[in-house]
Amino acid sequence: MESINWRALAPIGVFFLLCIVIAIFSPNFLSVSNAVRILNASAIPVVLVMGATFVILMGSIDLSVEGIVALCAVVTASLVLNDTFSANLGFWAIPFAVLAGGIIGAANGATHVFLKVPSFMVTLGIGFVCLGIATAALGGFPVRISDRGFRALTLGRTLGLPNGIWLAAAAVFVAYVIQERTRLGRYVYAIGTDEITARQSGVPVERTRILVFVLAGFFSGLAGVMAAAQLGQGHALIASGRLFTTITAVVVGGTALSGGVGSVLNSVVGVLIVIVLTNGMVLMGVPPFVQQGVQGFLIIVAVTLALDRRQLLVVK
Amino acid sequence: MTEKQKELLRNLVPIFTLLALVLGIAAFEPGFLKPANLVTVTADTMTLFLMASGATFVIMLGSIDLSIQAIASMTSCILAALLPMFGGTALLIALAGGATAGVLSGLVVNYFRIPSFVATLAIGGIMTSVAFWASNERSIYISDEDKSTWLNWATGTSVGIDHEVVVGLVVLATLSAILSLTRFGRLVRAVGSQERAVVASGINVNRIKFFAFVISGLMAGLAGIVMAARLGSGSPTLASEFLLPAIACIIVGGTAITGGVGSIWKTFVGALIIAVVRIGMTFVGITVLAQQIVFGLVLVIAVAMTIDRTKVSVVK
Repeated sequence: MESINWRALAPIGVFFLLCIVIAIFSPNFLSVSNAVRILNASAIPVVLVMGATFVILMGSIDLSVEGIVALCAVVTASLVLNDTFSANLGFWAIPFAVLAGGIIGAANGATHVFLKVPSFMVTLGIGFVCLGIATAALGGFPVRISDRGFRALTLGRTLGLPNGIWLAAAAVFVAYVIQERTRLGRYVYAIGTDEITARQSGVPVERTRILVFVLAGFFSGLAGVMAAAQLGQGHALIASGRLFTTITAVVVGGTALSGGVGSVLNSVVGVLIVIVLTNGMVLMGVPPFVQQGVQGFLIIVAVTLALDRRQLLVVK
Repeated sequence: MTEKQKELLRNLVPIFTLLALVLGIAAFEPGFLKPANLVTVTADTMTLFLMASGATFVIMLGSIDLSIQAIASMTSCILAALLPMFGGTALLIALAGGATAGVLSGLVVNYFRIPSFVATLAIGGIMTSVAFWASNERSIYISDEDKSTWLNWATGTSVGIDHEVVVGLVVLATLSAILSLTRFGRLVRAVGSQERAVVASGINVNRIKFFAFVISGLMAGLAGIVMAARLGSGSPTLASEFLLPAIACIIVGGTAITGGVGSIWKTFVGALIIAVVRIGMTFVGITVLAQQIVFGLVLVIAVAMTIDRTKVSVVK
């Protein structure tokens, strides 16, 4: 039991340690405006890790994050007032984009379950399909959003905080309720811990797996909407780098890649660690291109610390 | 069907697919079958083959290498940056860079027991950072003088044959010999088929995996060098688009991601299939932008067809 407690608390400890170190080197770090900046930068990654955490809790992985986000951002930008297509749905674009994410998630889940193809291959392929659609639909050009009211979805403020932060908070609430209070949540842990036993105890493994990928698709779709509103456009490369941040955040938060151990709240802490680190590096003048390398390093360290290696005879 | 017939079928399907595709295009465009054109098509395919050739070893183990495109981009930058200063030594430094990336992946997988798709994703991130650092975040042009002095082995022509084809065939012969004639090659196949049995017979599986990743890194590095030579420049995103086609050509050639089954010539045939499909799509009028959609689908379908489901009780 002790090791589990340690695992749950370690990310929070790392987070505070990181904050203290950065604050020593860069006093600007501890200002209110910087805290808001960090939360704002965390909004989209937090929404993304909500879906990714459930997938990883099952021991699977979703590599299609960037594809779904890009495609849904393009759908969003094309359905609100824009410079390319003659649509003007305003906020009604949101359900369409989120639904599009869910449909792609269903394609991921159904292919994975019915054709029995490992999730990393399915999602790699389908992610590229989405990127291809996003590129081809626009001939390689971006769609610019001219609807200012829509952009307030992330840029506007409520109670002094950017709306994107509230959206992310709502996503965390929904994900937490699913994790703690629904059958789906319990099934996810059961499958991640031991799929064969779960199946024998009557857990509908196939249905759960598909539903979880649909759920991840919904969250990625919402992230696509937010990205479109934030940047005022939709294009195929809008999500580059998101996959990396998402996986880093989930594993740094302490959710094990082998499944069964972790929580969406862990992943929120994971996002904060990654974003604070990025923010701190910017404040300390580290060139931005170093960040991907640092994140890669973080993934390795976090996965190493989180794995119970005694159980692993075979590592593929 | 007996096992032998199945094996024969598995060997023949990719070859007949390739022939059918070539004849299909020739029906539209008879000039396609001219020897000079076939040589050109083969030469254009060789960078893809080089990238996929080493990764075939990793996939035959049942693992995966998602860092090859990052490694190729990195070596293109190292080569372009160092060529004016060091001349031919830059080639060796670039190759050593590729091999080092493979060494790191191998160490991380073996000693930290991290699944290869995450380990190589992380190492790929680190290599991308190195590429941005080495290139100062720009494309670096290779002068014509340096190109003709140091890179003629890769891009020149002798007796009407492009040197890319020669390099490709040399790699094909060398790696095939390693795979089928050496103890290491046989053990790669064995680990892919039945890792637990190999572990139980007291063989150092870690060493085999380590060298497979090193070969993969080395070949990705060579691919980056040839790409830089062909384009006359190195850039940190030079090979970004190549991960999907590279993995696709390994799988389409008939090497199963579950490991154990495969060979280098299969990857060679797979690379030609991908190239011919690409040419065919251009003929039919599918834009370059939309081709990723097809490759994504081809990847998922090919994996679904080649995978050995008896080997995995739980598909994650």
